[in-house]
Amino acid sequence: MAVKSRRFWSMSGLLVTLLVMLARTSPAADAPRDVVRRMSDAVVAVLQEKNLSADAKRDKIRGIVEGYVDFPTMARLVLARNWSGLDDSKKGEFTEEFKQHLSLTYGKNVETYNNEKVQITGDRDEGRGDWSVQTKILHPQGGGDILVDYRLRQLSGEWKVIDLAIERVSLVSSFRSQFQEVMANGGIDRLLKLLREKNAAGQPLKS
Amino acid sequence: MKGLAKWVGNGSYLSVFLALTLASPVLAETPEPHPGTRPMPLPPVTAPEAPATAESDPLESLNRKIFWFNDKLDVYVLEPAAKGWDFVMPNRVQTCVSNFFYNLRFPIETLNDLLQGKVQYAVSDVGRFFVNTTVGIAGFFDPATSLGMELHWEDFGQTLGWWGVGTGPYLMLPILGPSNIRDAGGLIVDTASSITPFFVSGYYPLAARTVDIVNTRAVYADTIHRAKGSSFDYYAFVRNAYLQRRAGLVNDEAPATEKSQEELYHPEGD
Repeated sequence: MAVKSRRFWSMSGLLVTLLVMLARTSPAADAPRDVVRRMSDAVVAVLQEKNLSADAKRDKIRGIVEGYVDFPTMARLVLARNWSGLDDSKKGEFTEEFKQHLSLTYGKNVETYNNEKVQITGDRDEGRGDWSVQTKILHPQGGGDILVDYRLRQLSGEWKVIDLAIERVSLVSSFRSQFQEVMANGGIDRLLKLLREKNAAGQPLKS
Repeated sequence: MKGLAKWVGNGSYLSVFLALTLASPVLAETPEPHPGTRPMPLPPVTAPEAPATAESDPLESLNRKIFWFNDKLDVYVLEPAAKGWDFVMPNRVQTCVSNFFYNLRFPIETLNDLLQGKVQYAVSDVGRFFVNTTVGIAGFFDPATSLGMELHWEDFGQTLGWWGVGTGPYLMLPILGPSNIRDAGGLIVDTASSITPFFVSGYYPLAARTVDIVNTRAVYADTIHRAKGSSFDYYAFVRNAYLQRRAGLVNDEAPATEKSQEELYHPEGD
């Protein structure tokens, strides 16, 4: 009897431990790697839809990406030390125009999609709450793979993408250095003007 | 596609941003762990490797002038030539031409693999050369990649960086494009160790080089057009892409330095 009850307790102890572990690991369903996986799958699924126009695809993808990318943080990182000097309306305006610019620039890639697949090759803790996920865009004929690294940060419990690096070239870094040059001769107003002009010129279907 | 790496290796400004937009097979390093054992970094000979975000460019005003010249050369000479080439040559042929020239880089690749202690890479690159030269018909095709002998981009500038030599100031070379003191020096060694001087003489190397350049420009025409159109300061864009790309190549798969990460992702000290 004593043996039995001891076994019972140890079993239930094990069960509790397991449950606790499960509860702990359930956010692992939302680990950075899975976030990137889900985003890539969703985007590729849209790209593979045969009966959608390029514009419809772009709209759908924009919707997906907005759920995964933390644009305000990205915008803040891009402006770096220039950010804190801006008032809230300028910050908001910049974030909106920058987002628009990204979606116009990268939206052009929809037409050139050629059945590429995404493979996740690794992930690692970058310290100070950041996490990175390494992926490869696989060319269907082999060879020609493109390395894409994502950087994620937690925003109210959810992992969001704050930067991506294509072949080791970070988007945040690239825009930061260009915007620094622009702001050095004309400040935020010149930058916003340029962004608005480019976005207006880049709007599809002008004809 | 393969020609692109050469452009980066030669420091050609056209290729740098290719890394940014969807670029090359060639540029992708294999995801194996770093095969060589990295030596203790030597004390920096010139300036220490600058983080990719705070870009030091002491020669900027000179560099911008040379960049302007290069861009005009591109717009008025190279781009039209590449358009003509693209009109005449089917894409498949362009790929073959790129493969051919990449295959000729074999001595440079192998030498620099060995200088960085990457014996595995060296073995693979020798294998590549023999497979592609024979089965791949003088290098016009690339069967080696599908046999697992992937392309690695190595050059002497990278070797120097791997041994801890600093980059020195960013430097825009006339015609050849973005570089720095270290990589420009590396270029001389690469040229000396290339295969062509030993087998051909006269104007042939020059003609071959021209074909190579025009072909590569044609392969990446769309990418370049887009990069020019969407960048805010094309000069800064190319400089940033070059610095990041080269640092990535020197570090291979190793993560970027802590200092540059800090600057990039916590710019306000938050």
